[in-house]
Amino acid sequence: MRKERLSQGEIFDVCIIGSGAAGGVMAKELCEGGAKVVMLEAGREVNPVELLSHKWPYELPYRGLRGEKQATFYQGDISKSIAYADSDDVGVDRVRILGGRTMHWNAVTLRYAARDFKEWSTQGVEEDWPLTYEELEPYYDRIEQIIGVCGNDDHLEILPAGKHYLPPIPWRCSEHILKRATTAMGIPLIAVRKAVLTRPYDKRPPCHYCGHCMDGCDVASIFSTPDCLLPKARVTGNFTLRENALAREILVDNEGLPQAVSFVDTATRTEQQVKAGIIVVCCSTVESARLLLNSRSPRHPGGLANSSGVVGHYLHGHLGNSVSMYLDELQGKKPFNQDGATDHVYIPRYNHLSGKSNVAGGWGMQINYQSYMFPQNAHRVPGYGASFKQQVRKMQPGYLQMGSFAKVTAHQQNCVTVDPGRLDANGIPTPVVHFRFSDNDRVLWQAANQSMLEMLSHLKGRVFPSLGKAPSGFASHEVGTIRMGKYPRTSVLNSYCQARDVKNLFVTDGSCFTTSSEKNPTLTIMALSMRAADYIKDQRRKGEL
Amino acid sequence: MERRELLKLVALTALSPKVNVLQAAAACHMDASPAKPDPAQYILQFFSEDEGRLLDRLMEIIIPADSHSPGAHAAKTNLFADLMVATSDDSVKKQWQDGLRLIREEAARSSLAKALRKAAVNEGNPQTDLETFFALLKQMTVDGYYTSETAIHQDMEYLGNTYLAAFPGCTHPEHQD
Repeated sequence: MRKERLSQGEIFDVCIIGSGAAGGVMAKELCEGGAKVVMLEAGREVNPVELLSHKWPYELPYRGLRGEKQATFYQGDISKSIAYADSDDVGVDRVRILGGRTMHWNAVTLRYAARDFKEWSTQGVEEDWPLTYEELEPYYDRIEQIIGVCGNDDHLEILPAGKHYLPPIPWRCSEHILKRATTAMGIPLIAVRKAVLTRPYDKRPPCHYCGHCMDGCDVASIFSTPDCLLPKARVTGNFTLRENALAREILVDNEGLPQAVSFVDTATRTEQQVKAGIIVVCCSTVESARLLLNSRSPRHPGGLANSSGVVGHYLHGHLGNSVSMYLDELQGKKPFNQDGATDHVYIPRYNHLSGKSNVAGGWGMQINYQSYMFPQNAHRVPGYGASFKQQVRKMQPGYLQMGSFAKVTAHQQNCVTVDPGRLDANGIPTPVVHFRFSDNDRVLWQAANQSMLEMLSHLKGRVFPSLGKAPSGFASHEVGTIRMGKYPRTSVLNSYCQARDVKNLFVTDGSCFTTSSEKNPTLTIMALSMRAADYIKDQRRKGEL
Repeated sequence: MERRELLKLVALTALSPKVNVLQAAAACHMDASPAKPDPAQYILQFFSEDEGRLLDRLMEIIIPADSHSPGAHAAKTNLFADLMVATSDDSVKKQWQDGLRLIREEAARSSLAKALRKAAVNEGNPQTDLETFFALLKQMTVDGYYTSETAIHQDMEYLGNTYLAAFPGCTHPEHQD
């Protein structure tokens, strides 16, 4: 994608900050709606030939053990420019690359259920969202058809489905065997829904099942913004992209309305600005809060759009754990290629099926989402010598791995702040995470762990749990810091992701979530972004924006 | 992958003018940066020659050659260990030098095999410095061996990291519901 020069004094209709799942949707929709859009992306485009996904470990300097394969997703000082204070074991996996985390994800795409928007109404906790599943459903439909999602309609209330899925991925032996356990417990085990193509679609080829989803898809079979959405924006002639453009702050006029974005061109180390009538923030949960908190002015002394004091607060995400097992009946088999497209099956939430509970929320389970190349059992099997070596080899065909992703409740005191005394390499105050799990989170974590072990107890084999002594998060699914809501005192945005304080500011990434369910958030982020885009187009037509 | 197989795959797909599957897929076989490390050219950066040889012997005891495949010696796992330790903090370097010294002292009293057996006796719950070093040594041996060309292709006979036009899935009747 060519580098764009910004004309002096050019005023765009919309400036989108961030090129991930949210920003990509906004760019496509608003450009197709006729808006002149500029997108600022802190990272740069990475050509598919730069991806190291197919490199063998022995072709890498440290055998891949020091993150060499993923280094390209973490450009600049993004990995170092964050701090944690008074926090439990959580990590925020910020990336910096054109496409954001859509370049570095397993592509699991799950719709929220109706009840996931109504935590207060159904569970008496947190708050209800200011919109319902029914209002978001048409956007789930549109997004799934644009990006291409494989899977089935499983007719589950807890996991609503569309009608236009690509064929599901065939199951592995271990997954069929797992079904015996889930059936014994009365739990569904379904084909996973993923934004991975299983047949040609959208002028992109189907997956070739190399198992390197998280290392970057070099053939565009996994949905990513640069491969799927930005080309659609560009073809309208309305799209301008600035890479290596790290937003410093959003500048406002005398009325306090955003009018420009000040950014650092990290390639030339220069300060620049771009003007736009509407600003859409899509930097990811922690970075978006950071940007608003760093955008202070006399009209916005606590940060842009922060008269409520809520910006940065209600940070939450997922907690998770994993267990691996080596199934007896597959051990000793001739090696066979199990890589596939990482997850092929999924266990949707089921704890709600046993009636009213004193714990809010549930968990879903992803299966076999790690690589088969390295025998993980070699780090767990005791002993050494010939028998150890033979045991490791014999066990490997029986590998089955599962990880739970559980709901974490949203609390005001969990937050992101900025530290003006700690600047990143570009002189921008860095974010500080403050997070503690709640009692509900800990109870849910224990229940998920016990359920995983109970499930595996129905099978024959050797189990290696990695459960730890306490919950950890966020599994790259952090949300909530610039939440939408029904009540101005506990929210920043309305249901169209529009800031209450300033009507020409929108935030559509995971930070806009009121609450989180156990489901991976990306599809909902994209549906919310599309709904917000429709609203912006409508308001522009009416002259309101 | 053979080029004709790749071309067949490409012919099966609808290509975007902006996504060149052939170029992208074939690029994985190109020697793009970073350069592939060459064990034959490697010179010890941290361990002495004596320590390197000791490590080689220890690692070969932990993962030996057998009738199926070569072991840690053939995979030059000791050189991998040298690189990893040489590029670690001083505290890690000290752990390794102290650990090798402990093993050597123990071996002088009996034999290397007996020294390793003693080091491994509380593998799940190390109590002494020697036992703690065994955990470190085994982890390094496992990491180095199972990421080597020898282990991946000869020992584990790993068949993945390739291109499939379709994923076959399980067709075994005994595994179906």
